[in-house]
Amino acid sequence: MIERILRLGLTLLIVSIVAAVGLGLTYAVTKERIAKQKEAEEVKACIDALPEVKSPSELKEDKDLEKRMKKKVEGVMKVYTSKKGEVILVKARGYGGPINLAVGIGKDGKIQGVAVISHNETPGLGANLEKEEFLSQFKGKKNGDPLEIGKDVKPITGATVTTKAVLTDIKEALKAYSLFGR
Amino acid sequence: MDEKTSLFYEFKKGIVEENPLMKLMVGLCSALAVSNRVENGIFLGLAATFVIFFSNIIIASIRKRIPDQVRIPVFIVVIASFVTIVDLTMKAYFPAVYDRLGVWIPLIVVNCMILARAEGFAYKNPILRSALDGLGIGMGYTLVLLVMGVIRELFGTGKIVLFEKTIVTLGPVNPPLIFVMFPGAFLTFGCLMALLNRYEMSKKE
Repeated sequence: MIERILRLGLTLLIVSIVAAVGLGLTYAVTKERIAKQKEAEEVKACIDALPEVKSPSELKEDKDLEKRMKKKVEGVMKVYTSKKGEVILVKARGYGGPINLAVGIGKDGKIQGVAVISHNETPGLGANLEKEEFLSQFKGKKNGDPLEIGKDVKPITGATVTTKAVLTDIKEALKAYSLFGR
Repeated sequence: MDEKTSLFYEFKKGIVEENPLMKLMVGLCSALAVSNRVENGIFLGLAATFVIFFSNIIIASIRKRIPDQVRIPVFIVVIASFVTIVDLTMKAYFPAVYDRLGVWIPLIVVNCMILARAEGFAYKNPILRSALDGLGIGMGYTLVLLVMGVIRELFGTGKIVLFEKTIVTLGPVNPPLIFVMFPGAFLTFGCLMALLNRYEMSKKE
């Protein structure tokens, strides 16, 4: 009896150890590349969001500022600073999952541009949030603007949830900037 | 197992006679969810094929050493490991597709198609046969995803985009969005099943 139980346990143990070693190796091999991919994507979005910044070297991640912003504002993920302004990466819940945006805010506290990092919205409806005509309407907005559908924002047709999520993202970025931005 | 069945049949049966989606009706959930774009279909299909191919090989090669009582946990560990390998690799090398497939890659673990082949085939058959079976089943799955993807993307968005290039377009039409949404998945799948059954009935007569 004891012997049988031991045999079962031992089989599972061996299988698990082999699997764990295999996974550890894969993780070690892919880890760096995954981190690089993610960062490259973010930096590209940051450049899109702050048109005055031309090369990635002008941007710097500000961990300290990020920590302070995160405490006060829920959606903030990361902050990049540059001489031309700040880019705040924010995340809000859309229709099909999180919508990650990079919001570029200039020295005057006005939005210079908004870029999409990732989203999982319905193709043909919510996915239209990537379109220039939707994103460009946020240019020049600042903290305190109403940012409401029908008032100063033209929504994406048939995708109210997506539009609202984007608005949440943008409002949070502006709020974070107004609290801590320079 | 009938040793007379040819090795080629082990491969081929997964595509036609035992097509996982059309005949065995397993793995439907993921298939309906991601077949909204051709590209998604191809990548999930290939990912699942990779997993089923290697998990079948591993399970077939250790099947005589696995005690009956713990076989399911062993299967799950093997399958989950390969899924994680695919998950990390895709994240590193195809980040754009990975973002869109999202949770469906990790969910390959619970795709009953793969566990069904482990339990129903690889646990009872030698390595080569299991490998061919896995490859065939995976290909059958990918093929159906591809067909559904073409139908849904073409009629739902009016064009087919592959690797950020538009390869087919229907011209300036306003396509019925329902195709790319979940109801479209059920409609497309139902119609494909009906067509296939109709074809097989006419062959019998």
